[in-house]
Amino acid sequence: MSLTKRFQRSDEPIWWSLFSAGGVCVAMLIPALIVLLVFGPSLGLLSPDTLSYQRISTLLYHPLGLMFIGAVIILPLFHAMHRIHHGLHDLQWAHSALAKWLCYGSALLLSFLALSLWLLGR
Amino acid sequence: MKQPETKPSDMQHLSVAIQRYRPEQDDTPVWQSYQVPYDDSTSVLDALHWIKEHQDSSLTYRWSCRMAICGSCGVMVDGTPKLGCKTFLRDYPQGLKVAALANFPIEKDLVVDMSRFLQHLTTIKPYLIGEPSLVQAGSASAGSDQPSSAALQPQLQSPEQVKRYQQFANCINCGLCYSACPQFGLNPEFLGPAAIALAHRYNLDSRDQGKAERQPALNSKDGVWSCTFVGFCSTVCPKGVDPAAAINQGKIVSTMDGVIQWFSPKQLDATPQEPTS
Amino acid sequence: MSRKPYQPSMPADWWLKHPAYRFYMLREATVLPLLFFIGSLLYGLYCLSQGEASWLVWLSWLQQPWVMALNGLALVASLFHAFTFFRLFPQVMPLRVGSRTLPAGWMIAGQWFGVLLVFLALWWLLGAYHVIN
Repeated sequence: MSLTKRFQRSDEPIWWSLFSAGGVCVAMLIPALIVLLVFGPSLGLLSPDTLSYQRISTLLYHPLGLMFIGAVIILPLFHAMHRIHHGLHDLQWAHSALAKWLCYGSALLLSFLALSLWLLGR
Repeated sequence: MKQPETKPSDMQHLSVAIQRYRPEQDDTPVWQSYQVPYDDSTSVLDALHWIKEHQDSSLTYRWSCRMAICGSCGVMVDGTPKLGCKTFLRDYPQGLKVAALANFPIEKDLVVDMSRFLQHLTTIKPYLIGEPSLVQAGSASAGSDQPSSAALQPQLQSPEQVKRYQQFANCINCGLCYSACPQFGLNPEFLGPAAIALAHRYNLDSRDQGKAERQPALNSKDGVWSCTFVGFCSTVCPKGVDPAAAINQGKIVSTMDGVIQWFSPKQLDATPQEPTS
Repeated sequence: MSRKPYQPSMPADWWLKHPAYRFYMLREATVLPLLFFIGSLLYGLYCLSQGEASWLVWLSWLQQPWVMALNGLALVASLFHAFTFFRLFPQVMPLRVGSRTLPAGWMIAGQWFGVLLVFLALWWLLGAYHVIN
């Protein structure tokens, strides 16, 4: 009977919190970043020297640059992989523990890669 | 076929296709079309009545109040869950298709088996669970001549306190939100929109102390966490309950509950505190 | 008479069958072009760590037509995501001021204003900041 059913606490709060934080970052930061980085030079919003190696390394390898990496790479990664995980379930393609670990595992792995590249470049 | 007694020849006719399932003869549902006279005030439920009276008395469907209160006449109209009494033929000039509510087993024609939903509703205890000391005082006083004063205290609520849960209290258990929810279709163990909205409604009620009893089910995989905020449940709700908001507010509640659990001493959840009496 | 209920199952293409489901799946699919942009950023991070020559390679790679097209799609997707996400926010976290709930329209407008502020701040950081120094 459902009345006596034992319920196990889900680990979704962890992934959902990362997903939501990532969702805020994607909505707030990513549009501006794409417009400036990808279309900025050709639209004349930025002069070519503003994206110079010197300037960008100074900006990005500042300790605050790590926060920037978290906001535009790491949290959006967890956001994207959370939606893909649930999307696989919705499409009835895969709904296994393996699919879950592949999704969140790849987000973790790529986040680790981003952190390593940041440390490597400093 | 029986001829209608009074032919409303002055009325326009509309083609209404109905999904039939007659368990004695069908293995899968089949479509049947009817020409139904209608005017501006003809509801889908009126059309079903007309067909049953004039064309096919075996047509089976549920209904009671005809005024969007009882929640019995839920059907799919052109693939969208609707109350038959609150949906009008005038809005479908090209004709319409009426089927049994999606995601539920079909008993016959437009009648579905809602027991899964009702089970989930029972699981979340959709009623006021009082302060234990007050309940004890109340039951103790039942046998004696002198009722305890605590049990007789009215539990007052301010308009603000009512406002907090009022919207979620308007549910009529029609089940439209379960038919709208693909997550319930994919996983019938999901507690689903109405049950979680009602759990939220009682958790938000200042008179209620039952959150701890409801939370384990809500915290589970089949509780709030099966929801992916499709949001269609709130679109189809005929009473404006917004179950999607309730479930997703419930995700925040469940996350906080998890954080508190994480930081609280382990032995507390291993041995629940017995009431000292 | 015994019962013989018909058990419906979800068809594989259920998400194509209703406008509400197509909208939902489109929202979920916004992460696919987003992943390409995140990949672009990771590639840029790698190039930056490899020195100036490699950084210039990345900057010109970013201007290739197919990369621009995919990132343009990522821009549209992120704006569509923002449109859906901002609408959900007042539902998930209704803000109460005293006994009143803040109108959803205000909260949505506030979030779009935030997008504008972020754009201006980032523009200043990448462009105007350079002029000042």
